[in-house]
Amino acid sequence: MPTIALQARHLCARLGNAKVLQDIDLDLPAGRWTCIVGPNGAGKSTLLKALAGLLPYTGQVTLMGSALERLPVRQRARTLAWLGQNESCPDDLTVWDLAMLGRLPHQPWLAVPDAADDLAVEQALRATQAWDWRGRTLGQLSGGERQRVLLARALAVQAPVLLMDEPLANLDPPHQADWLELVRRLVVNGTTVVSVLHELTLALHADELVVMDQGRITHQGRCDVHATHQSLEAVFDHRVEVHELHGRWVTLPRRQI
Amino acid sequence: MRRLKIWWVWALVCSVGAAHAITLIDDRGTRVTLAAPAQRIVSLLPSLTETVCALGACDRLVGVDRYSNFPESMRRLPQLGGGLDPNIESIVALKPDLVLLAGSTRGGDRLRALGLTVLTLEPNTHADVRRVLEQVALALGVADAQRVWRGIEADLQAAAGSLPARLAATRVYFEVNRAPYAASESSFIGETLARLGLRNVVPGSLGPFPLLNPEYVVRADPDVIMVGDVNFVGMADRPGWRSLRAIAGQRVCVFTPSQSDVLVRPGPRMAQGAHLMADCLRKVLP
Amino acid sequence: MTDVGRQSRRAARLVGALLALGALLVLLGASVGSTGFERVWQAWRDPVAWQIVWDIRLPRTLGAWSAGALLGLAGAVAQGLFRNPLADPYLLGSASGASLGVALALVSLGVSPFAETWLLRVGLTGAAFGGAVLAVLLTLLLARGVQQTLRLLLAGVIVGVVLGALTALVMLFDPEVMQSMQAFMLGSTSFVGWTAWWLMVATWVVCAALTWMLSPVLDGLSLGEATAQSLGLPLVPLRLALVVVLALATGAAVAQTGLIAFVGLAAPHLVRSVAKTTHRRLIALSSLMGGVLLMAADVLARGLLAPQELPVGALTAVLGGGYLLWLMHRGDAMAPSRGS
Repeated sequence: MPTIALQARHLCARLGNAKVLQDIDLDLPAGRWTCIVGPNGAGKSTLLKALAGLLPYTGQVTLMGSALERLPVRQRARTLAWLGQNESCPDDLTVWDLAMLGRLPHQPWLAVPDAADDLAVEQALRATQAWDWRGRTLGQLSGGERQRVLLARALAVQAPVLLMDEPLANLDPPHQADWLELVRRLVVNGTTVVSVLHELTLALHADELVVMDQGRITHQGRCDVHATHQSLEAVFDHRVEVHELHGRWVTLPRRQI
Repeated sequence: MRRLKIWWVWALVCSVGAAHAITLIDDRGTRVTLAAPAQRIVSLLPSLTETVCALGACDRLVGVDRYSNFPESMRRLPQLGGGLDPNIESIVALKPDLVLLAGSTRGGDRLRALGLTVLTLEPNTHADVRRVLEQVALALGVADAQRVWRGIEADLQAAAGSLPARLAATRVYFEVNRAPYAASESSFIGETLARLGLRNVVPGSLGPFPLLNPEYVVRADPDVIMVGDVNFVGMADRPGWRSLRAIAGQRVCVFTPSQSDVLVRPGPRMAQGAHLMADCLRKVLP
Repeated sequence: MTDVGRQSRRAARLVGALLALGALLVLLGASVGSTGFERVWQAWRDPVAWQIVWDIRLPRTLGAWSAGALLGLAGAVAQGLFRNPLADPYLLGSASGASLGVALALVSLGVSPFAETWLLRVGLTGAAFGGAVLAVLLTLLLARGVQQTLRLLLAGVIVGVVLGALTALVMLFDPEVMQSMQAFMLGSTSFVGWTAWWLMVATWVVCAALTWMLSPVLDGLSLGEATAQSLGLPLVPLRLALVVVLALATGAAVAQTGLIAFVGLAAPHLVRSVAKTTHRRLIALSSLMGGVLLMAADVLARGLLAPQELPVGALTAVLGGGYLLWLMHRGDAMAPSRGS
């Protein structure tokens, strides 16, 4: 098991004519939870998509030791699970059917779901507390409930690397806490989790923080280290403050008066 | 006293002018007045073009629609569009003193608003052809209408007479279009068939050109089928039609496009159409 | 407590209902003809009447079933491929291509004897099918492949409009063609025989098998392109295959029965209003629903004004559209979603 799950060297990406990622070098450790933070337009989502191989880039990306371009598509799908931002949700599928879509990388082409698939989907739905409404259609769910089902879909892939872009959208505080628990358990079991979050207090619960600004990485380090807190404050123009509270770290907006 | 005299002179002049004015009531019920017999005519309907030429006034036509193709000289005239898309500007530029069009032609009101004299005539039956001949003759100031009509009548009689008695009451199916649209008894073609003494398998109660269920034709099993050559392609392959006695016995009258024009247009060539039908019938039923 | 099997059971019941309705409509279709309604077992005794039932009415009714099935399948594929509930099978220009093919064939019939012999072999149905497929190829060319769905949609609209305009021009210059095209544009099963039915059934089997294999792609696409890619679905070749299915199914249906609107659009919605399923089962259900819809319209078209016929396309719009309107009024088709 390699110690570096995802590695980027000289990674550049463009959106239209704008250079969004500028010469990024990044090592994401395996079996740890890394959060990518930064102001709007820093390129966080673009970086995550490039690491997942979902948009064209120049440079090198290595996934679990192999070059991303040379991996067969299905093997990559089994190794790396993706949960996008504001994913579209077909109103007509049931919760169970949607979660089962996460098993596509594991199913041979013309196969029907087997016992292993059923078990994986059940585990994923129970982990996101969506098991009780597995027969309901998505159109009958609220925004937060739908987000949990989409998360279950990503979990059902049971991939060693999980990339999530703004996974806490529409989730209320109790479910945000549930999500934190879930990520902790995944990491304990060896999954590498990389997430883009704009909720800074929650981001500081991660093992490592990657701070981005204007397409470059300004800092990468552990969350409980002072240098990381300083770079976090700096990237937001010192409009936020990092404080300690009961052994954890919280961010507060700095009063302007 | 002098004012009264001027008024009298003026009234006299007007009445003299009015004596030469032609007043007609067209198919829309509109009263149309022409100061003098029309000398520059635009026709936007093929049957009206043919009517003008049948009355010997072909040289007075200055513009026709794109579908007027008889006589040949009509093709050399400026083409002014069709019934759905007449070229208003070109029509006006020709400075006609009379525009002939059908009720279904668009643009009639526009032309009237631009000050042109427009006569709406739409011949749909045999009787209409005679009426239209008379109206157009009036507008042209020619007295030939009766003579032309008598000629057509006589020719129709001749066509009917050319059919031997044993061919009377032959049952005919006339297909206008491959949908299949048929010509019923109440259509112009149906009237021509009736003049020839033939029976139409499609009754007039269905309207002039009903869209039929092809099963109806199979049930009716006509003695003769009349159809345009474009629509004849593939007729034997229609499900169930191979067993029709007309198809099995090769008793199908296939008309070329120019022949179809003669048959379908309610105009002065209707006797020619009757002859076409009679000739074909004698050929397929010897 | 919700039961995950509920939707499956509803789907199964829907299949049963549609099959039963289909059988009933076949019986009705064999009974309705130019003399209105006559019971089909009465025709058994009369050989002439029986020949009419066998040669004309049965192939027409079964033809309506298979054409409706093709259109229903194509509609489900189009809506899944473009992730748009308003998509119909004619989106990629196939309808306009077929019309132009038929119009050009009719025009060339009068003009050149070479065209006549060629056309006798291929028939107007061949011209329509060829036109439909060529139009979709043109769309693919214009969109430079299937990578971008929006570009494909746009190219399809452009091709549809341009070819439609060309057809209108052809019809304007030859009014004979305009009359013949009318029936084609409004759709009818008038001349569907056993061969036509076989062709449609064979095409449906091929398209249904292909789509069944590709249904995971359609399901994955409903989550968005990025997620579908992340699930390991090779989007470009699979989307191309789906476009081919769309062209084949639409071309085959349009070639035999003309342009019948609304069946492809309405059938998937009607299915979803009863049972929510993945695409694997939606394909079969949508085909069945489309077939039943078109058969019902065809029986009405033949029976209401016998021996005259109404254009089938008008009746499918009334039937399918009417039912959808009623559903919307009841609130089932567009259930509002709760807030977060």
